[in-house]
Parts: sequence; structure tokens; C-alpha cells
Amino acid sequence: MRDVLLTVVRGLGFGSVYALLAVSFVIIYKSSKVISFAQPALMLAGAVLVSYLAGPVGFYLAVPLAAIAIAMLGWGLERTTIRPMIGRPVFVVAIITLGLDIAIRVVVNVFIGPDVRNVGDPWGLSTVELLGLPVQERYIAMAVVLLVVGAGLFAFFRYSRYGLAMRASSLDQETALVQGVPVGSMTALAWAMAAGIAAVAGAFVGAGGGVDQSTWVIALKALPAIIIGGLDSIGGAVVGGLLVGLVESFFATYQGEYLPWLGQNFSLVSPYVLLLVVLLVRPYGLFGTREVERV
Amino acid sequence: MTAVENQPSTGGGEPAPAKGRRPLGRPMLYTAYGQDMALLNTGAKKVAVAVLLVVGLLLPFVLEDDLLRLLATGAVLAIGAIGLNLVTGYAGQVSLGHAFFLGIGAYTAAVVSGDPEDDQLYGLGITFLPVWLIAGGLAAAAVGFVVAPLASRLRGLYLAIVTLGLVFLGTHVWNEWDAVTGGIGVGRPAADPVLFGVDLSRRTEVFSADQQLYLLMTALLVVFALLGRNIARSAIGRSFAAVRDRDIAAEVTGVDVRKVKRRAFVISGFYAGCAGALLYSITGYLDPSSFGLLVSVQFVAMVLIGGVSTISGSIMGAFFIALLPRLTRELPEYLPFLSSSATETPNVFQVETLLYGLLIVAFLLLEPRGLFGLWVRIRNYWKAWPFSY
Amino acid sequence: MSSTRTRRRVAAAGLAGLAVFAAGCRGGGEDPADGGGGEGDIATDVGVTSDACPEAVNPDNGCIYLGTLSDLTVGPFAPAGPVIVAGQEAFWNRVNEDGGIGGYDINVTEYVRDNQYNPQVANQVYQEIKPDILALAQTLGSPPTAAIVEDLEAENIVAAPAGWTSLYLFQDAIVESGPTYCAEAMNGVDYAVETNNAESVMAVHYAGDYGGDAAAGASIAAEANGIDFANVETTAGTDNQASAVAAIVEQQPDVVVVSTGPADMATIVGQSVAAGYTGKFLGSSPTWNVALLQSPAAPALQASYQLLGPWAPFDSDTPGHEAMRAAAEESGSTPNEFFLAGWAWSYPLKAALEAAAENGDLTREGLYSAASGLSSVDYEGILPEGSGDYADGGDSAAVRVTQLSSPDPEASTGISVTEEDLAGSTAEGYEFTEPCYEAIDL
Repeated sequence: MRDVLLTVVRGLGFGSVYALLAVSFVIIYKSSKVISFAQPALMLAGAVLVSYLAGPVGFYLAVPLAAIAIAMLGWGLERTTIRPMIGRPVFVVAIITLGLDIAIRVVVNVFIGPDVRNVGDPWGLSTVELLGLPVQERYIAMAVVLLVVGAGLFAFFRYSRYGLAMRASSLDQETALVQGVPVGSMTALAWAMAAGIAAVAGAFVGAGGGVDQSTWVIALKALPAIIIGGLDSIGGAVVGGLLVGLVESFFATYQGEYLPWLGQNFSLVSPYVLLLVVLLVRPYGLFGTREVERV
Repeated sequence: MTAVENQPSTGGGEPAPAKGRRPLGRPMLYTAYGQDMALLNTGAKKVAVAVLLVVGLLLPFVLEDDLLRLLATGAVLAIGAIGLNLVTGYAGQVSLGHAFFLGIGAYTAAVVSGDPEDDQLYGLGITFLPVWLIAGGLAAAAVGFVVAPLASRLRGLYLAIVTLGLVFLGTHVWNEWDAVTGGIGVGRPAADPVLFGVDLSRRTEVFSADQQLYLLMTALLVVFALLGRNIARSAIGRSFAAVRDRDIAAEVTGVDVRKVKRRAFVISGFYAGCAGALLYSITGYLDPSSFGLLVSVQFVAMVLIGGVSTISGSIMGAFFIALLPRLTRELPEYLPFLSSSATETPNVFQVETLLYGLLIVAFLLLEPRGLFGLWVRIRNYWKAWPFSY
Repeated sequence: MSSTRTRRRVAAAGLAGLAVFAAGCRGGGEDPADGGGGEGDIATDVGVTSDACPEAVNPDNGCIYLGTLSDLTVGPFAPAGPVIVAGQEAFWNRVNEDGGIGGYDINVTEYVRDNQYNPQVANQVYQEIKPDILALAQTLGSPPTAAIVEDLEAENIVAAPAGWTSLYLFQDAIVESGPTYCAEAMNGVDYAVETNNAESVMAVHYAGDYGGDAAAGASIAAEANGIDFANVETTAGTDNQASAVAAIVEQQPDVVVVSTGPADMATIVGQSVAAGYTGKFLGSSPTWNVALLQSPAAPALQASYQLLGPWAPFDSDTPGHEAMRAAAEESGSTPNEFFLAGWAWSYPLKAALEAAAENGDLTREGLYSAASGLSSVDYEGILPEGSGDYADGGDSAAVRVTQLSSPDPEASTGISVTEEDLAGSTAEGYEFTEPCYEAIDL
């Protein structure tokens, strides 16, 4: 029982980070109907920036500063490379984001250098007693940051003018334009927000272990999460991220014991198995909008 | 190119007995449907293809070995890209799983051709090229058949990510199945390109290994490209396009959408399997990390850069991606402020990778229709010359 | 649309294409290398010129070009690759400052290429530099090396590897240095049994030529000592270590042999100790990185981790180490174990070049036979005397001595020797006939 609970805690902890990453994918998808393959690079850039800033200003200030800086980068990317592609096939844009990912990562790797960089988080690997369980503090921090970001996004989309405008332009760009919504700026804002969230996720990916040049791969785990949740649902992204974290955690703990024939390290691909299962039942994910088919 | 483009007035009048006579001096006038749909429907194309073939045959006697090897790789990538273009460009089913099919082909071929004496790895010892090539293609096609039902349920990006999942599942299988793949970080020798007792990957008295490989791969590319072009312009190709453009409308007009999608995946799988088998017979060695996400994405990039729904575009895109790293390696020589020492920054290696990313971005930004689009523009310019504006 | 733009683009594309093809025209005749040689009667062929090297140390000398295929940008060893290259450059620079070899300077900077740890890329860049080099000063990674090794043997090109897998013992063209991961792990397990009375050992490792090799060694040593052995395969990524940690905490082995990357090793050690594991960790040589001392896992590492190294760490006192440190300072490199590795891996090639020069035959064939005839290499104390015996096949080439080090915040690379020259009975008695990871079914 204790093992099961610890597995759940770890799953929810990492799941929270995956959920953040998934949210950043979904925000971009909703604004420009593109899956941005540049998110891994943005996440890594955020983590590395935090690792540089944490020394002088402390972790708690470094994370928002890095998020803002990476948000500016995301905004710049949108203006220079995504905006000219409006109306082009989405796969062309997706490949463009991939080219950006390669380019940004090369630059970020220079700043990582040969060593593991620590993000200077205050938690490290220390644990805290919670309901009789030794829970790692960083997992709690990850869950808390997901809650905070999630609540902030909810409030933003529900109550602010900009949130409303973003929702409008995501529903129907032309109608939104007619109503006076600056659709282009809203897309840029979406990219900035997504980049900022990816940066925050990066800082927490590095918590407890640090970041090195291969850390970017973690961002790809958000891909099954967004499909499981439904591509155009932010809530779905959160659920998908947490599910991916849980499934992975359970496979990591128990698959070696109960399903050894699946091979070592099956936990890595378990999210994709979950993805296949979910899509067999619901082709648009758990919370995705069903496409209306017209001839 | 201009010389070729000016040919139609003289070359267009060739009689095409089976498909009706073409009037002399009117290259764009078709008097029968068959003429319009012909493989080489203008005289310019006939001349261009002939010129390309001659140039292709002369290249191995002009270029250095390492460049020939690169071109051979490009030819094989082109076969794979044609396969992806058939399923993604013509039939509209976006697949990020191409690397997976490539892997199946490569490992099937490696097993068929492998050394039966080896106690670590499976091997059948049949090194004859056509056998392992077709075995690799068929194995991948069979998997395409199994995977195709996914496509009848999913669309667009959902399908893309699920096929991406195939790549990850495939990598897991390759990593674990040591008897076939040698395992992660170890790998195994790839299929030997042996034709009638001659191992083409080894120097013979007449030709160097790279000259042989180049000629072999180019010949195969011609075969696969012709096949692809014929698929595309026949009833199968038109049913692909119908499904891509509006699947419900296609169904209403009597196209069996499921069957068409299945067909698309099977054909594409066959092409990818063959490409995988050939690709690593050039390198001679393969390990499980060779079939990751990046490979899939590179193929998508080839199709997009070359031009969606064009066979010649796929070929151009494949050569572009194959030659791009070499090009970026040459460029820093003209940028003397870059350090060629790996320990200083910025150094040429970082710039190479950076340029690789940025060139793809720049290219797609400037010409979203790809190399084929570029070609169309040039053609149209010269068509109306000197009155083009 | 503007036709000028189209035209300009076409022109640019055409020029770029020409640049590649112009550089790649078939020469027709022999390679540009001249057979005369720089200094009297040394025969030469490919990759050796009587003209001086670019920016030569000794402008009167001829030049020997050595190629380098390393992981410089996007592969898993991209953090280490450039440092290894730097160590190797420093090494050959010193050789040149001492007057070169046989009247030739050695250039290792002209033909450095990025293999991206990918067999296909490795093969391509190798073909690119092959016509211009005598030998390879570095080829990094087993799969990339496997993609070229057949050609190396066919063309008589000697290569120094960057790595310690036992596979290299059995590849003729490869002149490897230091104990293999396999021997290292044997010595580690023997040591744990002798000093800690360990009764169970677990190998936590990546699959393949590195981790698999070490795990095979641990398994052989466990069997030789009659203790329990458990095998846990893991994969790269700090978020993927949960199952390894779970297995360690669950089974509580007395000693764990870890063969992963530094960040993953720190994750495994840190989390296992946090979850109440009390045994010892022995890490293979690539598990250490100085930055780990600043990581959250540092206390756990200092308490329960030791490094199995092929040679003593950066700060040690052999003549080789001292020369290496002086060279590092001169080139402005920060202390790093991989700098030392790049340095130490270069000794056999130097010995082979010297032997070939002495024989008056600096052709590829001459160098190849000189290298495979070496019966010992002078490592200036970095490795014990008698190391580098390539003449009598894989088993005699295998080095069986390991240095055990512990984290030490005072040391410049964060690690210092605690137990010198471990040479356990398992490794002494084991005969290497094929790569360990193939000999042992885990």
C-alpha cells in the first residue's frame, strides 16, 4: 500500500510537469492549429536561464524572470517565423518550429556546457512526512506550481478581456477580426504565454537533478498527454499530463515484477500505449472537440 | 534549364501512336485524355528526363567518392520520400511513423542477409540484393496493412501523433530485441548489397565501391520513381487524391475510403521498407537509435521542401536534405571569424547544426510550396518570356 | 510575384550547389600527398606532406594529418566530445613542441568532424576526410566506430577510440587505452567483497557497449566470488530512473555498480539514499562530473559513492599527469576528467607513429603494422608499465588495473584517489576472448 501511494505521489509530481508542458502545447495549438516542436528547446532555455539567474537573485525570483524572458523569445519567434505562415498548411509550420527547435538548442547547449547545471531549487531531494509517507518536497512543489499556473490561466481566460479575445480568435479568426479583436496580437500573446509556461516547466524538470544537454527529451512526453486529453482542451492537457505521469510511474515500479516480458524500461513507451487505448475509444481524446464533418 | 524549356516547339510533335496524334508545334494542345495523362506529357519533360539520365550516368566519373556516396544516400532517401509523399501528399494521411517502417525494412533485410553462423544475431545468409530488398519492403508493407485501420479512425494531427507513437514503440522493440538488432549501443551489420556474386560495397577492379553504390541506387530510384509516378497518375492515385480532398465526398462517389487508406499505407510502407534496407547497406551498420523521431521528421521535411504531391519534388527534397549537412560543412570556410576548434564558441560545428535548422526554416518561409513550387515559378517566368513581369 | 526575387534565389541555390560540387571533383590521379617524404628516406603515402602544417610549431617539418570523429553538437556525448578533442589537441601540440615525430609535425585540427554519435553520419564524414588523413586520432562511440571499422581495416587506417568498451580489444585497427568497463567492474566487485564483505551486487546500467559491458564484468566477478547478482537495465534521462531506484530500495544489495551518465547516476544515488538504502555505490568511469558536488545529491554521493577509474584523476602526480596539467593550463582549459582522457587515449598512436618513423615507413600500411606490433606503450605513468601490448591479441592488450576514487571537494575535478592500483583476482584470472557483453547473457 505504501509503495502504491509513493508511486502515485511520484506520478502526480512528474505528471504535473508534463501537464504544464502539455498546456503550453495546447495554448499554441488553440491559437494557430499547430503542434509546436519548438517547445523542448524553449523548456530547456527556461531551465538554463533559471540556473544562471538563481545564483544572483534566488530561485523564486529567477523562475518568473526566466519565464518572462522566454515569453519574449516566444513572442519574437511568432512575429518572425509563424506570422508570415498564416494560411499555410499546418505541417509546413510544424516543420518550421522543428527547425527553430534545432537552432535554439544549439545555442542553449553552448550555455549548458559539459557539466550538469543545477537550477538552484530549494528542495533538492529532501523529503517531508505527509500522512506517514516520506514525500519528496519537489513533487509537492511541482503539483503546487501546476495548481497556481492552472488557476491563473483559468482566471485569465474566464475573466480578462484578453482571455476573452483569445478564446474568440481561437473559435473563429475571421469573425473575431470583424468584432475588432486583433487576432495577430492574440496569436503572439499565445506563443508568449506558451513559451513562458514551458520555461517554468523547465525549471521544475531541473529541480532535484539539474539539467544537461539531453534534458529536452522530457518535453516530448507531453505529446501523448495532449492527444489523450484532446488537442484543444487545456483542462484535458492537465488531465492527460497527470495520467501520463501516473501510468509511467506505475509501469516503472511494477512492470519489472508483473510484466517482465514487455522488456526493460517499458515505462518509457507506456504513455503511447495508453494513448492508443484512449484513442480506440475516443478518437478526439478525452476532452477534445469532435470535428463536424461536412461534405 | 532554359535550354530544356525552349525545346517544346521542336520536340513536342513526336507521334504517340497508342494515344492519338499530337498536332505539330502545339505542345500544350492535347487531343486525347491519354496524352494529358501520359508519363511524359510534354516534349520538354522527355528531353529533361533524358538529359538528367545522361548527367546521372556521367556523374560517377566526375565526382569524388565521398560525394557519390552522399548522392547514393540521397537517391535512397528519395525512395523513402516518394513513399511518404504517396501516403501524406497524395492520400493526405499525415504520418510521422516513417522511421518505424524504415526500421522494419532495414532489420528485415539485415536478418535475411545476415550471417547464419553468428550465435548472437539472427541471419539467413541470403545476401542476394533483390531478395532482401523485397523482403524488407514486404515486411514493412505488412505492418502498414496492420496500422492502416488507425487512419480510418483518426485524422490530421491525431493521426500524426499516433504514428509518432509507433516510432517510440518501435524504438523500444529495437532496443530490446537483441537477437535482431544487436541491442542499443551495439547494433549489427546491415544487409550486404550483393548482386550476382559481387559485393557492391567493396571496391572491384573497374569501379570504386561508391561508384557502384551510386549507380545501383540511382537505377533503383529510377525504378521506384517510375512506379510511384504510375501509381499517382492511375486510378489508385486519383482515389488517393479524392480521399485527401474530401473523404466523405469520395465515399459518396463510390470510393472505398478504408480500402484506399489501407492501400496508401501498404504502398508507403513498401517504399519505406525498401529505403530502410538500402540506406543502411550503404553505411554497412545500423543501431536502434537510427530510427528515432528525427528521421521521421526529416522525411516530412523532404516532402514539404520538395513539394507535396509531386514525385519529382520528393526527389528534389530528398537530395536537398541529404546534401544540406555537407553544404553547411563547406560554408564556414567562407566565414573566417568562426573557430574551427571544437572547444571554443562559436565554432563551426555549432554553426553547422544551427544553419541546418535555420535553412529549413528560411526555405519554408520563403517558398512554402517547396522546390517544386520554385521550379513552377521559374517555368512560368520563361514560358512568358520576354513578356513576363 | 517579383521575378527578381526568384532569380536571386535561383542564383543563390545554384552557387551553393556549385560550392559543394566544385569541392568534390574527382581528382583522377593519385592523392595529393607526395611519396618523397620530408626527411630523407621515410616512405609516405596518404595524409603526410612535406609541406609544413598550417600554423606549424616547427615550420621546417613536414606534416602528418590525423582525423577526428567526435560527438560535438547533438549526440549523447556532446558535453564530453569537445573536451576530449581539447585534451587530444594539447597532447599533440606537446609532441610538436618536442620536435615532432621523424621530422614531421602532427596536425589534429584540420580534419575534425562531428559524427553526432550516429553511424550514418560517422560514415559520411569519415568518407569525406579519408583521402586526407593518415590515421584517426579519435573515433567516439561504438556504433559510429562500428560503421567505419571494416573500412579502417581494409584501408589500413589506425584509429584511437574514445571509450573503454571491451569490444575495442578485438578490433585490429583500434588502439585502445586503459582497462575496459568490464575489467573495471570486476575489480570493483572484488574490492567490495574484500573490504566490505559484500554478499550481493546489483548492476544498474544503460544497455549496450558501455553499461552492458560493466554489468557483464560485475556478473562475472559476482560468480567468481560466489555472491548474488542482480541486473537492472535503465535508460537515459533523470526522470526515467524511478524503476532503478525502486529495485535498489526493494532488494537492498550490498553494493551497486552504476554505469550511466553523471546526472542519472546522481539521481539514482540521491534518491536511493533518500529512500533509505544504506549500501555502497561504485560508478564506472563516465559516471562522474565535477558539477555533481553542487547538486542536491552531493551529501549522498560523498557518503556512499566511489568511482572506478581507468587511471588516477586529474590532480595526480605522475609525469604524464603533470605534463597534461601544464598543457591544460597553457591552452586555458578548465580541469576535466575528459581532458585527461583525450590526452591519455593519444599515447598509443604516438608510440605507433614513432615506431613507424623508426622503420622508415609512414605509409598507412607501415603505421598499421607498427601499431599492431607494439608490445608496450609509454604512458608516462598514467597507466602501469606494460600496458598497450597490441602484438599478442585482445587478451594481452587488456589492462586489468583500476584506480578507486572518492568525491573530494578540494580536488579540481572533485575527485581524488582513495585506493591505488586495484587489481582483483577475477580480472587477473579472466581471459578476454570476446566483448564481455557478448560473452555474458545478463
